[in-house]
Amino acid sequence: MLDLALATILLPVAGAVLVAVSPQPWAKRICQVFSGLAVVTVLLLTWQFSAAGKVPVQATLIAFGDTAILGFTVDTVSVLVAIAVVSIGFLIAIYSGAYLGAGNREHPDIGRRRFYAFLALFIGAMAGVVFTDTLIGQLVFFEITGACSWALIGYYEKPKSLYSAAKALIITHIASLGLYVAASVLFLDTHTFSLSAIANLDDTGKTIVLIAIMVAAWGKSAQLPFHMWLPDAMEAPTPISAYLHAASMVKVGVYIVARSLMASGGAPEIVGWVGVVMAVITLVFGFLMYLPQADLKRLLAYSTITQLAYIFLALSLSVFGSKLAFNGAIAHVFNHAFAKTLFFLVAGALSYTTGTRMLPVLRGVLSKAPLIGVAFAVAALAITGVPPFNGFFSKFAIFAGGFSVSQAHPLLYVLVGIALLESVGSFAWFLKWVGWTVPGRPTDPVAAAAPLPAAMGFVLVVLVIMSVCSSFIAAAWLG
Amino acid sequence: MSSVLPILLLLGPLVGSLAIFALPVGKEASRTVEIVHVAAIGFLLVMALAVGGVTLASGPVGAFGQWVYVDPLAAIFVGLVGVVGFLTGLYSLGYIRHDVEHGELTPFRHKLYYGFFNLFLFTMLLAVTANNIVMMWVAVEATTLGSAFLVGIYGKRSSLEAAWKYVIICTVGVAFGLYGTVLTFSNGSEVLADPHGAILWTTLFANAKALDPMLVKIAFVFVLIGFGTKAGIFPMHAWLPDAHSEAPSPVSALLSGVLLKCALFVIIRYYAITMQAVGPEFPQTLLLLLGFLSVAVSAFLFFVQQDLKRKLAYSSVEHIGLILLGLGFGGPLGLGAALLHAVNHSFAKALLFCGSGNVLMKYGSRDLGTVKGLLRVAPVSGVLMMAGALALAGFPPFNVFVSEFMVFNAGLGSGWIWLTIGAALLLTVTIAGFVQIISGSVLGKAPETMRKGDLGFATLAPMGLLMALVLIFGFAVPQPVTTLIGRAASVVAGGPATALEPPTPIYGIAPQLQLEARR
Repeated sequence: MLDLALATILLPVAGAVLVAVSPQPWAKRICQVFSGLAVVTVLLLTWQFSAAGKVPVQATLIAFGDTAILGFTVDTVSVLVAIAVVSIGFLIAIYSGAYLGAGNREHPDIGRRRFYAFLALFIGAMAGVVFTDTLIGQLVFFEITGACSWALIGYYEKPKSLYSAAKALIITHIASLGLYVAASVLFLDTHTFSLSAIANLDDTGKTIVLIAIMVAAWGKSAQLPFHMWLPDAMEAPTPISAYLHAASMVKVGVYIVARSLMASGGAPEIVGWVGVVMAVITLVFGFLMYLPQADLKRLLAYSTITQLAYIFLALSLSVFGSKLAFNGAIAHVFNHAFAKTLFFLVAGALSYTTGTRMLPVLRGVLSKAPLIGVAFAVAALAITGVPPFNGFFSKFAIFAGGFSVSQAHPLLYVLVGIALLESVGSFAWFLKWVGWTVPGRPTDPVAAAAPLPAAMGFVLVVLVIMSVCSSFIAAAWLG
Repeated sequence: MSSVLPILLLLGPLVGSLAIFALPVGKEASRTVEIVHVAAIGFLLVMALAVGGVTLASGPVGAFGQWVYVDPLAAIFVGLVGVVGFLTGLYSLGYIRHDVEHGELTPFRHKLYYGFFNLFLFTMLLAVTANNIVMMWVAVEATTLGSAFLVGIYGKRSSLEAAWKYVIICTVGVAFGLYGTVLTFSNGSEVLADPHGAILWTTLFANAKALDPMLVKIAFVFVLIGFGTKAGIFPMHAWLPDAHSEAPSPVSALLSGVLLKCALFVIIRYYAITMQAVGPEFPQTLLLLLGFLSVAVSAFLFFVQQDLKRKLAYSSVEHIGLILLGLGFGGPLGLGAALLHAVNHSFAKALLFCGSGNVLMKYGSRDLGTVKGLLRVAPVSGVLMMAGALALAGFPPFNVFVSEFMVFNAGLGSGWIWLTIGAALLLTVTIAGFVQIISGSVLGKAPETMRKGDLGFATLAPMGLLMALVLIFGFAVPQPVTTLIGRAASVVAGGPATALEPPTPIYGIAPQLQLEARR
C-alpha cells in the first residue's frame, strides 16, 4: 500500500523529467500518460485500503537515527484528498492538451514543454503533501508546489504574469515561515518531525505550533492577510488556475491544518477562536470583493477565497469539539475541488471559444454552446450550495456542526450566523450572473464562438457528473 | 598522527603551478598547459578526498612537525578546495579557451591563468591545513596575491581597478588579522610552559583556559575584522562585488565558493579558542551582530543589482552572514548547520557562477537588462541556471534549503527567536532577487540576432556535476560528510573529536513500529 503511495508521488515526477528531456511534440502525451498512471495507482491504493478495512497505516521513508524526516500516512482523509488532487490533475492534463493549441482565441499557444513538466511535477508534489506525515515533509512539498506554481503562473511570460507569479511565490514563502517555525518548535521540543508528536506537546507548545501552521495555511489558501496573490494569479493559463487555484494548491493550506488538528489530539480553544475569527473576516471581505468583478476568473478567485474560508471555519469549529464540522471540512475540500475546477474550466472554455471571459459581454451561452451553458449553471449552483449539488451537503454539515458547538459558546452563534448570511448573499450574486450569462440571445462574441474541442467537452461532462456525485462519495467514504 | 598525505596534498598544486609557469609559450594556447593543469587538479581532488578519508578513519593527521594539521574541521575545508577546485578547474578549460579564441586573452595569459589558478589552490590549501597561526596568516595573505592576478587577468581598466581594490582592502584588512595573530601568540607564550608551543593552534586551543581573557577578546575582535575582510563580512565586504564580477567566471566561483570559506575557517579556529578562554557569550554576540548585518544589508543590495555577477557576489555576502549566524547560535546544531551551509553554499554558488560564465560566453554581457531568454538560446545552461537560482534561494529539494532550515532551527533553539525570524524574512528578499534573475534573464524572448545552440560539453559537464552535488546534498547529505561535520562541530565546541556521532540515515520504507521499537 505504501509503495503505491510512493508511486503516486514518483510517477508524475518521472513524467516531468521525461517531458524535460523529450522533444516538444511528445510533452503533452507524456504528461497525460504519467498523470493517468498516477490515477491508476491512487485508485489501486484506495481499493487496497478499503479492502484492508480502512486501517490507517504509517511508514517512515527517510529517517536520521530516530528522527523521521519523511514518512507517509495512508488513512481515510489522505486517500480521499489524494483521489481528488490526482484525478483532477489528470483531467487538467487532458483539458490542457486541447486548450493550449493554436485554436485558442484568447491565448494561441503550442503547449511548450515547460507547461507539462511543471504540471506533472506539481501533481507529484501535491500527492506528496497529501501523504506525508512529517512537518518537514509538508514544508518541503509546500515549497515545491510554490515553485511550480510560480513557473506555471508566469507561463505566458508577459510582464504582468511574471510579476503575479513572483508575487504569489513571495507571499506564500513569507507565510511558509510559519511552517519553518512549527517544524522547528516541534523538533526542539520532541526531537521528531512526526505530526503525531504534536499530541505530546504541552498546551503552549500546541498553540504555537498550530497557529504557526495556520499562518502558513493562510498564505497558501489565500486567506487574509495573505490573500492578495490569488486574484493576480489569474494571469495563469486557465487550466492552471483551475488546478492550482481551485482544486489543489490552495487546498494545501487547509489540508495541513486538518492534518495537524487530527494529530494534535485536542487543540487549545484559542486556536479555534483565531481560526474562526480570521475565517469570518475573510468571508465578509471575499464577498464584498465579488461585487465589482467583471472578469469571470477574478470573480472565481474571490469565490475560492470565501469557500476556503468556510473550510477554515469548519476546521476551527472542530477545535471546539464538533466531529461533524471536521468531516464537513474534509468533504468540502473534496467537493469544492470538483465544482470549482468545473467553473474555472467553463471560464477556460469560454475564453477558448469566444476569446473573452468578461461577463458583461457574455450572454446567451446556452443557445450557442449548450454544454458550456449547462456546466456554467451546474458549477454556480454547486459552489453556492444548492441541493442536490455537492456543495450543499458539505456546507450543511459545517453549519450543523457550527450551531451544535455554539450552544456552549454563544459568541460562535454570531460568527456562524455571519457565515450563513454570506452563503445566502453569494447564492444571490451567482444567480444573478447565471441569469445574465446562460439564457437569452447570444451576444456577438458568443454568436461567433468556435466549437469546443472534444477533449475539453469530455472533461466538462466528467466534472458536471462529479459535481453531483462527489458529495455522496465523500459521505460514504468518511462514514 | 603524522602522515605523508598532507605533504602530497600541498605539493600537487604547487608543483603543477610551477610546471605550468616553466612551460614555453607558443603562438597558440598550449595544450600541454591544460594537460598539466588537469593532472594537477585531478591529483588535488584525489588527495583531498584521501586526506578526508584518513581523518575520518583514524583521527587528525599532521606533517612538518605539526605545522600542517588536518582535523575534521580542516578536512571539510580541504574537501571543499578539492571538489570545487577540481570542478571549476575543469570548467576553466572550456571557458578560457573560448576567451583565447575571441582574442580576450593572449596565449601567454592563458598560461599565466592556469599557473596562478593552481597557485591559488595551493595557498588556499595551505590556509586550511595550517596549524601554525603565523603560517595561517601568511597563507591567507598569499591567497590575495595569488588570486589578484586572476581577477585582473583581462588587463582591462575595470578589471585592473577591481584587482587593485581587492589587493588594497584585503591587505589592509588582513593586517588587522596579523595583530590578532601576534596578540594571541604573545598571550600564549606568556603563559605556556614551552613558549614555542604558542605558535601552534592545537597547543593554544588545549591551553586556552590559561590565556589572559582580556587579550583573547581583543585578539578575537582583530581576527574577526581582519579575516572577516577576506571572508566578505559586512562592513568589510567592499572589495568583494568588484573582484567577483571582474574575475573570469571560474575564478569567481572559486573566490565565492572556497576563498571566503577559507577565511571563515581561520575565524572558526580563533572562535574555538575564544570560546574556551572567555566563554561563548562574547564571541557569539559579535558573530550574531555581524552576521545579521551582513544578511540585512546584502539582501537589499543584492536585490537592486543589475549585473548578474555582482548580484551573485552580494548573495555570497548574505550567505556568509547566514553562516556567521549559525556559528553565533552555537551548540552542536548551530555549528553543524553553519559548516554544512558553508559546503552547500559553495556548491550552489559555484554552479551559478559557472552559469554566469555561460551567459557571458553566449551574450558577451552580464547586464540583466541585455541577457534575455537564456532558456531558449541555450536550454541546458538555462535549466541549470534556473535550478541553481532556486537552490540558492533556498527551495527544496536542493541543498541550501537543508542547511538554512538547520540554521533556522538552531536559532529558535538557542532562543534568538526574533533575530531568526528577521533573518528569514530578509531571505525572502533574496528569493525575490533570484526570481528576478530567472524571470528576467532565463525566461523571456531571446534577442533576434542570437544564434541558438548550447555551449559545449566542456562547460556543461562540470556544471552538471555541481548540480548533481547540489541535489545529492539536498536529498541526503552523505554519511562521511555528516560524520566529519559532527566531529568538527564537536571540536569547535571544545569536545573530543570522536563525540557527537550523527545518527545514521535510513532509507526505504520502514514501518513506524520498527522505529518505535529501536527507541
